[in-house]
Amino acid sequence: MAATTVGSLDLPPELQRELKDLAAREGKISHYELLGIPADADGGAVRRAYLERSKRLHPDAWYRKNVGEYATLLSRAFQRIAAAYQVLSDDDARAEYDAEQAKTFSAADKTRVEKRMQDRADDERRAKERRERLMRSKGFARLGAARQLYESAVELAAKGQRGFAIAELKSARELDPQRKEIAQKLAELEKEAAKARSVSACVAAGERAAQGDFDRAIALYTAAHQSDPTNPEAARGIATAAAEKGEWPLAATWIPRAVEAAPTHVETRLLAGRVYAAVKNKARAKAELQFVLDKIPNHEEARALLKRL
Amino acid sequence: MEPVIGIDLGTTNSVVATVQAGVPTVIPNRSGYRLTPSVVAIAKNGKRLVGQLARRQAVTNAERTVVAVKRLMGRKYSSRALQEALPRLPYSVVNGDRDDPHIVLGDKSYTPPEISAMILTELRLDAEAFLGEKVGKAVITVPAYFNDGQRNATKDAGRIAGLDVIRIINEPTSASLAYGFGRDVQEKKICVFDLGGGTFDFTVLHMFKGVFEVMATGGDTALGGEDFDARIIDWLAEPFARTHGVDLRKDKMSLQRLRDAAEKAKCELSAAKSTEVNLPFIAQSPTAGPLHLQAQLTRDMLEKMTDDLVQRTLRVCEQVMSDAKVHAAQLGDVLMVGGQTRMPRVHDAVKSLFGREPSKNINPDEAVAVGAAVQGHLLLNETGKESDMLLLDVTPHSLGIAIAGGYFSRIIPKNTTVPTSAHHIFTTVKDGQTSAKITVVQGESELAAQNELLGEFMLMGLREAPRGEVDIDVIFDISSDGIVSVSAIDVQTGQRQSITVTASSGLTEDEIRNAAAANEDWLLTQKSDPEFEARKNTAERLFKEFEELWPRLTYAAKNGLGQEALQRAQAALSVARLQVSQKESEGLAGSIERLERMLGALRGAIERSGQGGG
Repeated sequence: MAATTVGSLDLPPELQRELKDLAAREGKISHYELLGIPADADGGAVRRAYLERSKRLHPDAWYRKNVGEYATLLSRAFQRIAAAYQVLSDDDARAEYDAEQAKTFSAADKTRVEKRMQDRADDERRAKERRERLMRSKGFARLGAARQLYESAVELAAKGQRGFAIAELKSARELDPQRKEIAQKLAELEKEAAKARSVSACVAAGERAAQGDFDRAIALYTAAHQSDPTNPEAARGIATAAAEKGEWPLAATWIPRAVEAAPTHVETRLLAGRVYAAVKNKARAKAELQFVLDKIPNHEEARALLKRL
Repeated sequence: MEPVIGIDLGTTNSVVATVQAGVPTVIPNRSGYRLTPSVVAIAKNGKRLVGQLARRQAVTNAERTVVAVKRLMGRKYSSRALQEALPRLPYSVVNGDRDDPHIVLGDKSYTPPEISAMILTELRLDAEAFLGEKVGKAVITVPAYFNDGQRNATKDAGRIAGLDVIRIINEPTSASLAYGFGRDVQEKKICVFDLGGGTFDFTVLHMFKGVFEVMATGGDTALGGEDFDARIIDWLAEPFARTHGVDLRKDKMSLQRLRDAAEKAKCELSAAKSTEVNLPFIAQSPTAGPLHLQAQLTRDMLEKMTDDLVQRTLRVCEQVMSDAKVHAAQLGDVLMVGGQTRMPRVHDAVKSLFGREPSKNINPDEAVAVGAAVQGHLLLNETGKESDMLLLDVTPHSLGIAIAGGYFSRIIPKNTTVPTSAHHIFTTVKDGQTSAKITVVQGESELAAQNELLGEFMLMGLREAPRGEVDIDVIFDISSDGIVSVSAIDVQTGQRQSITVTASSGLTEDEIRNAAAANEDWLLTQKSDPEFEARKNTAERLFKEFEELWPRLTYAAKNGLGQEALQRAQAALSVARLQVSQKESEGLAGSIERLERMLGALRGAIERSGQGGG
């Protein structure tokens, strides 16, 4: 490589000089000088400068050409402009770079950077003011407030404070009835709340039943069923309590729902067998008991009942 | 300028193109088609078949026919991607010594690069036949989302096929080059939605005065047309299994027929609203005799069963746009690449995501190969000045190392322009430590183990010194091909350290050389003898004569000659064509005799009937 003369290379002499110059000044010139742009260049100008320079400096532009010892200088030069571009094309990275490097900039660039930072702060301030102004204006204020309520409700829901969240969503819906997210979230939370109510009602009902207060238990189970008709516990609870009380017709009206909600629950099917037997619906009673025996062949109670039938 | 070809080595189909006198041209294969199926088979007589021929015999020779080998490229045997692909493959894949998959075909086994090399060799021969000269240089495309291992495997395949792979480029960027070549665009942002047979890629580019800058790229290497086919296969096979107790997917031959039928149905539903799948004698029931499969598939049903796949592509698009910091409205054009984008549902989903009609300016099947040819042309231009076009591509994955606690430390973040390099200083942690292990991984997870392992590098022969006094500067380079290399220098002494790769499933230098030599040997045996050439010419003359006679024959067949004679001729012709392409010299001699007899008899019959005029 040492023997190659400048003339025999494919690189034009001015590019050879430029590469040597870039290498000599590595670490001494700013990203702006490297890309050949003023320090107040906007994003588009930064990108265009980088792409223009890439066309000359990217190793592919000289692929399998005779570039001699310039090969490493080329790839280093390209990586430097790529790194400079990476920083200057990202607003935050660029602001950080400007602040760090301010002392090394030329006087002209220093004022440019200051002006740019000033402009950026101004832009941000104006955008913020505009947002606030819009919030205060009539239509936007309503929507903005609805949005805030919605956001706080989502946060509350995530923290487990469902009750508060529902209240906020209800006010949000009044302010902005059009927004689907609000209605959706509200429906979702209300459904969850109903399910939770149903579960706690069942627990309370269970306690009453254990104390022998079947009337109260039936009332609570009924409430649980209304809150969440898919809760198998509720229908089964009513049927069980009614059966305990000997109110067979009531038990018979609820037992199909209990079976439907939990068709594989053996206890429920056994109860169903007892209830149907009591209301003299022999065929269904037999079917239910047979189901129990299919599952647990030596279930004594079921066997005894079936025999009696 | 010596020719350079661009190759789109696809999961289902491959395309080869070149730039001739400044004009990009797709090279038709020797059978005249622009798409060559990426299928390789070893026929029962031991012959190697590639492309259309291999595909045509896939049903009767499913176990020795390799499809979708791209899905195995650069994958470790134990990887999830490979294990998921295995049950759907009709051929058998076994584990090699280095956790690398081997495909068993008859009594031999081949690595995925060797199979890919067979396809590349075929394309190279097509190009040589088309250009009339030897072709040595190629640009091969890979999905943007391919990792280092997959890129290396592709490059190895090129070398085995006797090609100097001057560049590996990303498919979507390649498509954008095809779009931008010869088009005078000042400044524009475009995106490429590439849903091919096996992979999905989405890329956002910025074009400025001939420079193509990739702003961001992303994708899914295990999402493509084949997944759409798989849904149809399951839809056909599951009810069949329930009714007849036979799982068609378990039988290699039925699976191949199902696969063909599913693909055909899918393609038909791009134009029609409904199609019928009809597979008679698909299986044998132990009690009820032969079983047939018949089903009606509508476009709505297909869209419903593949909706999640389409949604997956849209999520990738959104992620990439946010990486590139652009909004859909800022994009000047949306390019669609890959056969699967023909599906109306995909088209509509893209249209609604970007709020515009996708560009019709490029051919979804050919753009990738054309762009690769353009890139080859640009790289090798001999004008001695900077070229008018330049591609600035990025690395699709973050590169880093595993650090204490199993965490991942990023050294080169994803979407960094290549070529690039970065370094990291390691220091010894023990007194007198003489070696250190560096685990290099690629991916986005914070946990090293969840990323792709590129290799383990051993730093050997470190200076003996108290701990912390030896600093090793490890340099990571990513080339324009997206391929990673690692080197290390002792900071204090400036001495280069040796690095050994200890865990990598790629082929070794020797293996590549042996495979390339074997491929050359095979090529030599293919050099046909003069006797065969003469027979081939006679056969081709006969094909032509039959072709010219055909309209009169069909007319005569309807008017007294009968269909049977016509069908016999057709069968004899297809046998002879197969013999020509498989270079079966002896068999061809017999076929020529038979065809000549038939031709004479048929001519006589037409004249006798006196209806041949016209």
